[in-house]
Amino acid sequence: MSGTKHNAGDHIDASREEVNEMNQSYWAYVKRQFRKNKRALFSLYFVMFLAFIAVFADFIANEKPIVAKYKGTTYFPVIKQYGVSLGLTKWPKELQNVKWQNLEYDYAIFPPIPYLPKNTDMANAQFTGPFDEQRVKSKRWWHWLGTDDLGRDVLAGMIHATRIAFAVGLISMGIATLIGIFLGTLAGYLGDTGLRISRVRFWLNIFFFFIALFYAFGARSYILSDAISNSIISFVGQLLISFLIFFGILGAVNLLASVLKRIPFLGQKVNVPVDLAVSRLIEVIVSIPGLFLIIAIVAVAKPSLILVMVVIGVTGWTGIARLIRAELLKVRNLEYVEAAQAMGFSDIRIMLRHAIPNALSPVLIAVAFGIAGAILTEAFLSFLGLGVPAEVVTWGSLLNLSRSAPAAWWLAIFPGFAIFLTVTFFNLIGEGLTDALDPRLRK
Amino acid sequence: MFKYVIKRILIFIPTLLVVSLLTFALSSIAPGDPVEQMLSSQTGEGTSANLQANEQAYIEKRRELGLDLPIFYFSFGQMAIPDTLHRIPKRAHRDNLSRLINQHGNWDEISDYYYEIKDFEKDVYNIPKDSLNATPLINMKDAIKSLYANYDKEDIEKQLSDIPKFIGGAPSMGKLQSSFDQLKSKHTAMVTNTSSWKNWVPSFKFYGTENRYHNWFFGDKPWFGKDDGNWRSAGFVRGDFGISYKDQRPVSTVLWEAIRWTFGINIIAIIITYLVAIPLGIFSARNKGSISDQIITTILFLLYALPSFWIGTLMIIYLCGGDYLDWFPPFFRPDLSGGLLNDIKELSYYLFLPMICWVYGSFAFLSRQMRGGMLTVLGQDYIRTARAKGLAEGKITWKHALRNSLLPIITLFANVFPRAIGGSIIIEILFSIPGMGKVGYEAVVARNYPIVFAVMMFASILTLVGYLVADILYGVVDPRISFSSKK
Repeated sequence: MSGTKHNAGDHIDASREEVNEMNQSYWAYVKRQFRKNKRALFSLYFVMFLAFIAVFADFIANEKPIVAKYKGTTYFPVIKQYGVSLGLTKWPKELQNVKWQNLEYDYAIFPPIPYLPKNTDMANAQFTGPFDEQRVKSKRWWHWLGTDDLGRDVLAGMIHATRIAFAVGLISMGIATLIGIFLGTLAGYLGDTGLRISRVRFWLNIFFFFIALFYAFGARSYILSDAISNSIISFVGQLLISFLIFFGILGAVNLLASVLKRIPFLGQKVNVPVDLAVSRLIEVIVSIPGLFLIIAIVAVAKPSLILVMVVIGVTGWTGIARLIRAELLKVRNLEYVEAAQAMGFSDIRIMLRHAIPNALSPVLIAVAFGIAGAILTEAFLSFLGLGVPAEVVTWGSLLNLSRSAPAAWWLAIFPGFAIFLTVTFFNLIGEGLTDALDPRLRK
Repeated sequence: MFKYVIKRILIFIPTLLVVSLLTFALSSIAPGDPVEQMLSSQTGEGTSANLQANEQAYIEKRRELGLDLPIFYFSFGQMAIPDTLHRIPKRAHRDNLSRLINQHGNWDEISDYYYEIKDFEKDVYNIPKDSLNATPLINMKDAIKSLYANYDKEDIEKQLSDIPKFIGGAPSMGKLQSSFDQLKSKHTAMVTNTSSWKNWVPSFKFYGTENRYHNWFFGDKPWFGKDDGNWRSAGFVRGDFGISYKDQRPVSTVLWEAIRWTFGINIIAIIITYLVAIPLGIFSARNKGSISDQIITTILFLLYALPSFWIGTLMIIYLCGGDYLDWFPPFFRPDLSGGLLNDIKELSYYLFLPMICWVYGSFAFLSRQMRGGMLTVLGQDYIRTARAKGLAEGKITWKHALRNSLLPIITLFANVFPRAIGGSIIIEILFSIPGMGKVGYEAVVARNYPIVFAVMMFASILTLVGYLVADILYGVVDPRISFSSKK
């Protein structure tokens, strides 16, 4: 008896391994397929290279040396700056408000580009081109891509702008993906008949949704807006508190509902047409002229990068939601979901562990294209001088400078190329993913 | 089919309502005071009479624009905020008062304090200027201004402790002492009698149809019965879009001039796109996998990814006068007065670059669809049959395959159109073509809300109609698609 049991266990283990292997082999297969596509692979490497520049922008273009010995003390000013910005350390007195490039160091290793985007070089102001005569100490201080009207180094600006482009692309698409997957899953998995809750829960949730909004955001609106102007960290903290209040109230209400539903009248089930609601919402959002709405919101509000990301994200989730919804409508009738239901798994577990991972591949493609679109939108906004604060240099704002200075060809060519290349390579990755994930191409 | 169309048009209504609410919310949250903007030219001498005249003008203008009403049918917010706050004329004052409410929660005391500042200001402006009081008077006026704008406890106290110095600064200022004492006592009352708990109690207030949204969207003109002429707006739904803040022209006039440009340019652009993209797609499909196919695909892909605002900027810099080539005009000023032929000449001269910039990106999308459709059709059995019976390849392509692969492309028209309306904003701003995108953009930047509302609404309506036409075309073209059954 024990022997057969053992055997059965072995069998289950084996089949589980097999499933795991198949599971892995699907993504391994995708990887292999993607690698075959030379263009997509090259694009991926290029994007990784740009991501590297974005992450290490402070070490590539900075006014401060990476390592320096000054008055007998060795410093790592670039790294130390992070500590100072976070309030962990302070600059010694002799290094406060100094012109870093002009200090008398014992020795100093400067980043490849020894400028920050905001540094004005008065000797090379008024649009000095890369091939013009530049009044610099040595070739080391050359402005490789020229300067703008105030003598700010264009290459330094473009390197730091990479960071902004990536931040906007990734964060806005992150927001869009979260919203899209959440609503798309609800609509696709639950459909119009999948969510039946007790009457009391339904009404309590609707009523307390507004109450929770009031306590989390309405009554705290000034706290939140003060936090925005204070610092990003305090804003994120306050926002977290707001979300805690919001979900805390809703959670408490749902606990209450679980108790109250024992009363027969209150416990009667009502049907919530989730799919209908989400589909209508998508229809409404799709018919709003998106770019114009974004311009309108960004133009009337105070310039802020966070706002640009949020607005692009909140208007850009419909495509992903549609994909997930369509995919889950297919998936939920498949045997393995039925099997999971038969085994008594909860809806949430089935959705998170089984349904969503299988519906994720088309979303991946949409995200790749979406990042390209978000970067383009942000570039256009800052090209119009909207959204991003005036002192922040972006590819779009550099391009915008060229409109008033037609002779400065480097301001028109290089930032435009940066936008073009980034967008193209994200698109190529999207194409590569499409090919790699398309089961029709599978042998 | 008919039932389906009616159903779709009924869905328009909630969508447009949402868009109208969204735009409206945007205008009310946005900082800035349109009344102040319009009256910015009027600043008289700092006398009491002028102060009152300015305030009167402000209130008049505000009433005229309909901004003195509550924003919406109801409000849901803190109990401490009174339902009469919208009556305070100046936006900046309102903002500051609501900050004070957020701190202290006692509207009665806060409003007493506010009106006491006003009285005090009047008294200050009543003091005649003389040789001794010039500096303290200016300082005093500044102090009052910052009292209006400050909600921080310490800032207010600092101003209040400075004012006695200015009062003592000149003999003629002495008579302000009594009204200043009153102001101080009102301030003490405000900070001591607080009831900030009211900020944590939600309350629902109902205002009825006498509100800004209702007036703008539905209008306060009576729908039935006799018209007594005592109304401000007939409402958006009855075709009254309001008056542009900028030049006081009716929004409908401004919009009509703009829509003609946008519509015309988009139609031409779409026609060009089809004329170029369809032959390209067919060519690629017929030579599938050849070098020319690959070259076309690559070039189109690159064009697709080239940001049009970059290419447009380059065109303007290098082709439109300035320091480089002088082939095209730098400004959009076509002279449309000399007959049809002249008009066409003028327009093609002025629109050539914008058109190129506008259409190149969409070639890739359409020709790719065309190529795909053509390839599917070319793989069908009846094409093989046609080949088997010895028809010439050209005849097969143009007569048998084209028809069937063209239909889905035509239906794309309706999808392309709304996207075009949204996208032409870039070209219009860049080449300063006075279309809807440019007018809307300038209105947004200048906070000219009546125009912003109208542009948003019309852009949404065009988008909705576009999708509807697309769906209908699908049904007409492909009889397999049925609208009556649910799934």
